[in-house]
Amino acid sequence: MSTPQTAVDITPPSPREMMRITLGLTIVCLLASAILGGFYLWTEPAKARNVAAREQKLISQLLDLSPSAEVQEIRRYLLWRGSQLKIFYLTPRQLVQFDASGKLLATTEVPEPVREASAPAEKDTWVEANSGANDEDDFRYVGRFFSGIEANQVAGYVIEGEVPGFKTWIRFFVAINSDYSLRGIEIIEHEEDPGLGDQITEPYFKNQYAGRSFDALLGIEVTKDPLPREWRDAVESLGDETGFSEWIVKYADELPSHPDIHAITGATISSVAVTDGVKRSLGNFRKRMDLVEDYL
Amino acid sequence: MNIVTRTAPPPISTLIMRGLFDENPVFRLALSLCPAVAVTTSVKNGLMLGVAVFVVQVLSSVSAALIKNIIIPKIRIPVFTIIIAIWVSIMDMVLAAFFPAVYGEVGLYVKLIVAFAIIISRMELFSMKHDVVPSFWDGFGMGLGFLVAMLLTGAFRELLGNGSILGFQIVDFKPLLLVILPAGGFFTIGLIMALFNWIDLKRGKEPPGGTGCGGCHG
Repeated sequence: MSTPQTAVDITPPSPREMMRITLGLTIVCLLASAILGGFYLWTEPAKARNVAAREQKLISQLLDLSPSAEVQEIRRYLLWRGSQLKIFYLTPRQLVQFDASGKLLATTEVPEPVREASAPAEKDTWVEANSGANDEDDFRYVGRFFSGIEANQVAGYVIEGEVPGFKTWIRFFVAINSDYSLRGIEIIEHEEDPGLGDQITEPYFKNQYAGRSFDALLGIEVTKDPLPREWRDAVESLGDETGFSEWIVKYADELPSHPDIHAITGATISSVAVTDGVKRSLGNFRKRMDLVEDYL
Repeated sequence: MNIVTRTAPPPISTLIMRGLFDENPVFRLALSLCPAVAVTTSVKNGLMLGVAVFVVQVLSSVSAALIKNIIIPKIRIPVFTIIIAIWVSIMDMVLAAFFPAVYGEVGLYVKLIVAFAIIISRMELFSMKHDVVPSFWDGFGMGLGFLVAMLLTGAFRELLGNGSILGFQIVDFKPLLLVILPAGGFFTIGLIMALFNWIDLKRGKEPPGGTGCGGCHG
């Protein structure tokens, strides 16, 4: 940084001076936290609304839902009592409870105010209160997925997943049909480097996952080969003009000749992270659905 | 004890020209090179970071000028850091809450700014010695200088490295892929620095000495 302008004074400051410095810094930090806290309280509700609205929009796009369709959120919780594990699923109608082997333990009706609550924290508090967790237990929310309901039929699911990226977590949505074939993915939140890893949000990367079957996806690899021009044009055409359903039908025959995900650059950290994350989310989701499908 | 000494502020035009050319943060003071090199792989990225730095620079310079008489001189540097952090966080929160579309584009860049040496150095070198209005114009000039530097670097690197400008393909191949890589960022900044020196020589001015810190005495 800059060189100091004044000569460096090597004698230690007097106790009085030290007190002044300590006090000054404390007051400045308190003021700063008060200002930031105030701004947080003021902006947080609007931010939460934006995030929720954006999620709804993405889910509708990924599942090609009509405006009248309904999106249901299913939240998943774990309760550890020592080494004993209980698993909870909160659906819009009921709270379903399993033990570690997948045996149904109990179901609880969800009361109206909790069902309508917009803040996730409200739902989590209610689940914890009804889970029988005491203070020593480790109770936590561990993830969620959405089901899109079109005319009383499940149109598809959207799984929220997280995977460590280059610096911090990459949060993404994986949209699938009810036969577990992939519709597409969407990156929700990330802090990958601008110009490099942040390209995971670009259509030419994220759309390469669209239309893969469950088995094809689990075997998918990341290649450093450059993305062929015509295939790049094809994956980039998915989006505003061509919806997911339409695109998948149109390019179904071409998908097998492009079995791999083409990485963004030769350094494949972000590309591999997203691919692993999508694979893991999908694999776990299939196992979990065996448990919870009947209660949706 | 009090290190605040007032000198008559230079005129506004001088302040702005100084930020743009004579003491350009990137090409003259060689400050904040690391984030600048990391981000300027395209004009758009450069523009986003440039605008974000411009706003934080102006706000921070003005804040430092406002509080210079009430802070204990010994703790001014941590206080400057806190001021920058406050403005960056406020920008981050307000954009996320009320301008979600803009936030989607610039959110990543805003968070990078806390680590910018140029902002704190203008607070220390200029705002501490001048009133609010000249400090505003100094921040304005320096922020603008940084913005222009980001645009120049971004344009050079995107054109040569990717064959496009602002995402529009100009030529259908990558003329010199090297410049888009991190090392190429330093080459680019070095080349533009040389151009600045050449212009200075043509204007009959002595280029700055070999200290790499033309602004440290000002």
